[in-house]
Amino acid sequence: MTAQGFTHRRTPGLARTATPGRRRRRRNWSVDRVTFFLAFLGLPLSVYLIFVVSPFIQAFYYSLTDWTGFNPQMDYVGLSNYTRAFTDNIFLKSIRNSVELAIVVPFVTIALALTLATLITVGGSSHGQIRGLSAAGFYRVISFFPYTIPAIIIGIMWSQVFDPSNGLVNGILTAVGFKQFDSFPWLGNIDTAMPVSMFVIIWGLVGFYMVLFIAAIKGIPSEIYESARIDGAGRFRTALTITLPLIRENVQTAYIYLGIAALDAFVYMQALNSNGGPNNSTLVMSQYLYRTAFTKGQWGLACAMGVVLAAVTMSFAGLVFLVNRLTGGKDSVTLA
Amino acid sequence: MQNSSFGQARIGRRSLLASAAVIPLAGTLASCAGSGAGNTTSTSGSSATSAVSTSPDNPFGVAKGSSVDAVIFNGGYGVDYAQYAAKLMGQQPYAANCTVTPTTTIATTLQPRFNAGNPPDVIDDSGANLIGIQTILSEIEDLTDVFAANNLEGTPIKDTLYGGVTAPGTYNGKFAVINYVMTVYALWYSQSMFDANGWKPPTTWDEAYALGQEAKAKNKYLFLWGKEAATYYQTTAIGSAIKEGGNDVRLALENLKPKCWSLDPIQQVFTAMKKIIDAGMVKPGGSGTQFTQAQAQWSSQEQALLYPSGSWIENEMKSQTKAGFKMTGTPELTVTKNSQMPATALHATAGEGYIVPTQAKNVAGGKEFMRVMLSKDAATNFAKTKLAPTIVKGTVPADGFGSTALVSQIKMLDNAATDVFSWQFVDYYGMNADQLVLWNTFLGGGSSVKQLTAGLQQITDKIANDPTIKKITVS
Repeated sequence: MTAQGFTHRRTPGLARTATPGRRRRRRNWSVDRVTFFLAFLGLPLSVYLIFVVSPFIQAFYYSLTDWTGFNPQMDYVGLSNYTRAFTDNIFLKSIRNSVELAIVVPFVTIALALTLATLITVGGSSHGQIRGLSAAGFYRVISFFPYTIPAIIIGIMWSQVFDPSNGLVNGILTAVGFKQFDSFPWLGNIDTAMPVSMFVIIWGLVGFYMVLFIAAIKGIPSEIYESARIDGAGRFRTALTITLPLIRENVQTAYIYLGIAALDAFVYMQALNSNGGPNNSTLVMSQYLYRTAFTKGQWGLACAMGVVLAAVTMSFAGLVFLVNRLTGGKDSVTLA
Repeated sequence: MQNSSFGQARIGRRSLLASAAVIPLAGTLASCAGSGAGNTTSTSGSSATSAVSTSPDNPFGVAKGSSVDAVIFNGGYGVDYAQYAAKLMGQQPYAANCTVTPTTTIATTLQPRFNAGNPPDVIDDSGANLIGIQTILSEIEDLTDVFAANNLEGTPIKDTLYGGVTAPGTYNGKFAVINYVMTVYALWYSQSMFDANGWKPPTTWDEAYALGQEAKAKNKYLFLWGKEAATYYQTTAIGSAIKEGGNDVRLALENLKPKCWSLDPIQQVFTAMKKIIDAGMVKPGGSGTQFTQAQAQWSSQEQALLYPSGSWIENEMKSQTKAGFKMTGTPELTVTKNSQMPATALHATAGEGYIVPTQAKNVAGGKEFMRVMLSKDAATNFAKTKLAPTIVKGTVPADGFGSTALVSQIKMLDNAATDVFSWQFVDYYGMNADQLVLWNTFLGGGSSVKQLTAGLQQITDKIANDPTIKKITVS
């Protein structure tokens, strides 16, 4: 996952192919060699082709048909499914919601995870050895804990916490005197449904990314932090100019993973607001795709939506790479 | 569980979990994969069974010892009644071996089997995840011969049924779906609470408003709702508008006419509802409340007086109903006293739709399963254990097996006589999910009658103007 990892892995391979003299000799297709290739290259490759590439191609093909999903008949209809998808105001709304998620969720999650990771690894006492807060191990377990709960349970749990009449949130708020929150539908109000859903997703994910960043920060030699401290850099300055550039690769990876998770978000949204929320304010593309396929029996159209979702996801990943590159990611410092 | 917009919302935690289990499918493109193989059809199965001679005991010619594959929606009614019928099938001369597979997600579970040409022999196509009939109409059997056959007791089945039960299963002239359970749509209330306060169930929206003011004095609401079930209020509004304006209203909606939602009776009902909402007589927060929890606030905590629902409500809330609640139904409201249909007119239909796929291996077995289900024996067993009447008449004794709701259903059906109506467009075109959104907003006081009407009309127009959706004509 880190830059160091790649370099290490690559070295032995390079050494073997570079041996002079070997290149000229005809390849020796011994049984050993052929079975080796079949087992370690052919098998994974065919699994990949059958279970990853061919469904993609099939889905694209189906998106050009009027397949209902419930019989094998389908007629070619060209791009009309795409026209229908892009003139469907509810689908467009679901794209907007998904994009909104892809912008907010990764950013907030990473900011939070980085802060927590910094506190736990290097944010401790400014005297003596570089270390995290006291009881860092405890905080680490606490923050990682939500990640061990399946997403669907998180969704169901929080929908109970936010229940208007019996939920914990309104119970506490009304108990301390905020009477306007009596029966306030957090997940049923058009202004709060999306932020609350985002909060739940972030709550569920932040622990994992914190642990990821902790591992990355631990890879940075503490001498760097010590010298920065001697030069008079504060904690915030250290985090921004030492930690962040050094774990840049990790942040990029996390950003892409989080973006993909946010663009899907199916489980959370289905658990919190299975019908798309007030005025479809939390309806995401994967939910609408599911509805189109299974309740409306329009698999051709649903496949077209799937292709659009894939395109959005890939452009998101591309965009993250591009931004990273433009902001100087390619000449980033590595410690390898 | 019903084949209705009420039914669409019947998703509990279980189906939520089930739908979450499909994420790997729904979330990725891989979901569309895996159909190509399904181009061969196994019609050989049905021709093989047709070689078996038929007899009054075995009108469809079920092969001796053959197996029957029944997939049953596991909702509010469970599957034990279907297992009872399966057991009966084993006791018949042909001794068929019928397996009942329960599922909460019919469409998700069966889509691959339909596509591969290997569907089950009989399906209870119900619940939130039902397969839209529009999608598979050409792939399921016409079931007229089931009603023409004799039941296990030797009476022709068609003579044992309530009137009008074929209508909700008939699509463009094809009787494709046997709706098994008689469902009455009504406003439900606690007879004991009403008696204690000297209240009478309302018959018009004005009376409902007056009742709402009395409820306020007792610190109670008139109505409440849950987010997945907001369209229960649409169902009661449509029922009310049809009673007020007559069949013209129903036909305009069914045939997706332009500006159908702007018809006078519908607007009057919406306006009356808006008055109740604005007066604070609807418990706030419904758009964020899971619907069975909302229903428990009515049946257990008695925070509201009335709840519009289908007659499955008693069974659904069985474990969460206050002791001595005495759940009772009253027909949907009218706007004025001189409405087109009388106040006793009833919105009732048969629900819980059973279908037999044409490509099933044992079509005869599937039809035979339905014949057994419609026997007096199996139908009485259903009424007794589920406290709901099937489409078979005379299975409920006068005491309704001790259920006030069941007694009131039979009473409402008797009072209505021939003034019974229903509609299909919401489920047939799968509109419920989109309409839910509008009703959650409206009931929460977040939109005007005009906005609600415009939104509903937009949903109707979108389907009316989409040439790829096959329309049904209702007359």
